[in-house]
Amino acid sequence: MKTMMQWMSLVGLSLLTFDAAALDLGGLGDKLKELQVNPKLVEAAKELKGPDESEEIAIGRQIAGNLLGAAPLVKDAKLQKYVNQVGMWVASQSERPDLPWHFGVIQSNDVNAFAAPGGYIFVTLGLYRLLQNEADLAGVLGHEVGHVIRKHHLKLLQQSKLVDLGGKALSQQIGGNDKVQQLIGSGAEIVARSLDKDAEFEADRLGVVLATRAGYDAYGLPGVLQQIGHFAKDEGSVALLFKTHPLPDDRLSKLDGAMGDRFDKVKGQDAGKRFYRVK
Amino acid sequence: MRTNRIGMAALLGLLLQSAAMAAESGTALKADAIRAEPFGDAKTVATLAAGDKVDILKKDGGWLQVKSVKGKGWVRMLSIRKGDTRKGAGAAAGLLGLASGRAGTGKVVATTGIRGLNEEELKAASFNEKELKLDESYAVSKADAQKFAKQGKLVARPFGYLPDAQ
Repeated sequence: MKTMMQWMSLVGLSLLTFDAAALDLGGLGDKLKELQVNPKLVEAAKELKGPDESEEIAIGRQIAGNLLGAAPLVKDAKLQKYVNQVGMWVASQSERPDLPWHFGVIQSNDVNAFAAPGGYIFVTLGLYRLLQNEADLAGVLGHEVGHVIRKHHLKLLQQSKLVDLGGKALSQQIGGNDKVQQLIGSGAEIVARSLDKDAEFEADRLGVVLATRAGYDAYGLPGVLQQIGHFAKDEGSVALLFKTHPLPDDRLSKLDGAMGDRFDKVKGQDAGKRFYRVK
Repeated sequence: MRTNRIGMAALLGLLLQSAAMAAESGTALKADAIRAEPFGDAKTVATLAAGDKVDILKKDGGWLQVKSVKGKGWVRMLSIRKGDTRKGAGAAAGLLGLASGRAGTGKVVATTGIRGLNEEELKAASFNEKELKLDESYAVSKADAQKFAKQGKLVARPFGYLPDAQ
């Protein structure tokens, strides 16, 4: 509750500095202007409740397109389809099953995974290679689904001064939606930013539960975190992950506290037999 | 080049396999019971103290079968930290580093043809419409996901979200 209040006051402050048109991504602003409502009030209402779902998806789509500009998809249609099947099944267990969920494995040796608003989720090939079965994958995707359903990145965008209203972004030729690009800053830098530590711990708890609801062994995500804990802190392939997330040991100890013996009675599948291994 | 890569992948596969088969070591993060079976209500065989060394024999859900000087049995997975007390990159990290195309130096091994993803690259990235459309083309419907789950004998079940422990 306290963080919520802090957030509200932050939003209140940022109201004073935002250009009135900056967040007007959909048609809502126009419609309300016709009703002769003070546009400042419209913006205030919008900032408090955040962008609507179509705006959220537009923002996520822009981020996803930029991320793919940095690292394209692994060219393995079977792998991509498989990851979407597992991901969609996990996301179906959340309170936002009807978002247009997309999952992809991107060509990078880094160990990392990314979520963009609206349901765009990516796992690096480096991380995928660490997975041992489908329950591991479900846990990792569940963590990212957790970020999306709790709108962690969207809130970060709203809170931070990432909104680039300068002419810099505009003067460049950028693909996709220029207006949205202005909102998300430069390229896909938003996915390289750290969320609040508590948001990461929360996504871990959500990931474990979503995988469990989907019928998987609950310990997929913790197992992957233990694997990642093996990496030396100065190892290049985990540099960004460790910079933007609490360290695996801290995440595991938090999960231990939250999970305790609650999962003793729920046995799940690891579906290891059909796990798709990359060549 | 192609055969080279396949050879490399096969070699890595072997290395990883042998790493997986060798008994892994671990350290108890806190005091916890070693139980006769992987259940919370199974008989306690011995009690581990924080810092005790164990050999990890196998995994079953949230449980690890371990062997220690105090006894052999099952311990909650999250009570154990895998690997030796960390000193730089252990053998496992070295292996994983190799598997991810880096030789521990942080330098990308040129032959893998793919690279890491750092902050600067993400910042400088420009929108790739073609890749995004490809990504979107793999979308799966809820109904298809259900079919897929059924094939894997996955049964959805209710489970409440976890409160923050602190």
